Amino acid sequence: MFNYRFQWKQAWNRLPEMLDGALITMQVAILSMILGIVLAILLTLFRRSGNRVLSGVATTWVEIARNTPALFQIYMAHFGLAGIGIHLSPYSSLLLGITFNNAGYLAENFRGALKAIPDTQPRAGRSLGMSDLQAFRFIVLPQMIRISFPTITNQMVWAVLMTSLGVTVGMNMDLYGVTQDLNALTFRTFELFAIAAVIFYVIVKIIQAGAWLISRRLFRY
Amino acid sequence: MKVSLPSIAAIATIAISGSATADLLDDVISSGTLRCAVVLDFPPMGSRDADNNPQGFDVDYCNDLAKALGVEAEVVETTFPERIPALVSGQVDVAVASTSDTLERAKTVGFTIPYYAFENAVVANEGVEMADWEGMKGKTVGATAGTYEAIWLEGKVKEWGEGEFRPYQNQADVFLALSQGQLDATVSTVEVAEANVESGKFPGIKIVDKAPMVPDYVALITLREEQGLINYMNLFINQQVRTGRYAELYKKWVGDGEPADLTIPGVYR
Repeated sequence: MFNYRFQWKQAWNRLPEMLDGALITMQVAILSMILGIVLAILLTLFRRSGNRVLSGVATTWVEIARNTPALFQIYMAHFGLAGIGIHLSPYSSLLLGITFNNAGYLAENFRGALKAIPDTQPRAGRSLGMSDLQAFRFIVLPQMIRISFPTITNQMVWAVLMTSLGVTVGMNMDLYGVTQDLNALTFRTFELFAIAAVIFYVIVKIIQAGAWLISRRLFRY
Repeated sequence: MKVSLPSIAAIATIAISGSATADLLDDVISSGTLRCAVVLDFPPMGSRDADNNPQGFDVDYCNDLAKALGVEAEVVETTFPERIPALVSGQVDVAVASTSDTLERAKTVGFTIPYYAFENAVVANEGVEMADWEGMKGKTVGATAGTYEAIWLEGKVKEWGEGEFRPYQNQADVFLALSQGQLDATVSTVEVAEANVESGKFPGIKIVDKAPMVPDYVALITLREEQGLINYMNLFINQQVRTGRYAELYKKWVGDGEPADLTIPGVYR
């Protein structure tokens, strides 16, 4: 039994507020991806370093990020850190939680990409007088990013969708948070969340189109 | 007496079409079960006892309503934001869930007359200097998303133009954040504030002041078009007060003292 008459007008009037929320969602996702990629490259270097401590840190990070729920990671970034006296705002907690998750997944994706690059290439670079880091920077890294580019796009989409978990730590500026607030105000649950779903869908499609354009420009053979 | 075939057919038609126009009140009575949405992390209105069974003012209120209807009560746990989806998708018949009767919401669901009224209190972290409710200005404050006090507090923060408002998904997270110092202060019903301060589960919090709000009148809700059931529940609420059951439940769950007056002077209803 679905006993309901849809009343779009009441929800539609709130569209500007929801679009403002969508901008915050995009902002969090993009920031978390930039930070996530940088961290993932660092984690990859740690794992290649041969140093026990560094590779231990990287492995632990990747294991936790990939094998626990994102919800848990965000919740810990807020309530967990507060337990030891570090107080982060909902925005920072959400950004930290998603960045942590992104870095873990991307590091694993990079590891897969590295397997496709023959070990003889950096060794050839070394024989031409490059340092270890130079060989990584000029030979391995560009290929690694190129090979893992589709999975980076995937993670970006995932980051956008993960912003919806921010409500658990009191976030009310992003698209999902705004929608929840409006739901409490008007009780137009179905209409509001239907509109939010469409906005999420459009954001993801924009990202995919953007990724396609970037890959066409950057990765021409 | 000879009964003609057409008249039998006519009676049969009426019987069938009669059942097709039955409203929710009829459906509940004939199904033998009243399904109530109750929020169970909202003591003393709704919580769980040591054996994990639902208990509280709202749970008893649902049981009373079921008894009046002559049916079995079934308590369905929901969060505040999930009340409406549960109602609309037909998982529950009514919500006995301390729902504030705002005009904006009444465009969507059907409200009865108020069955309870809350006063609200300001609760602060002990480390924060706060003499009265106006001390919340410029501070980081929060409340349970989707509640009357959250809507009020968010409005105040916008009006002040300084400070920050954070809605959390349930009452427990609000008090956890307050106890940890993530929040400087919150506004919650006096009942919830006292229960949480006394429980000792959230150290380092204190009640500061009453919040200067119009009392938060809460009503039972069902689908907007179910006038039959809404009429029945209006009379039921009236009878609960009349028979003294309202005062009895107040004493049982909230404590000594006078339960809130459910009438508003100067207007019919």
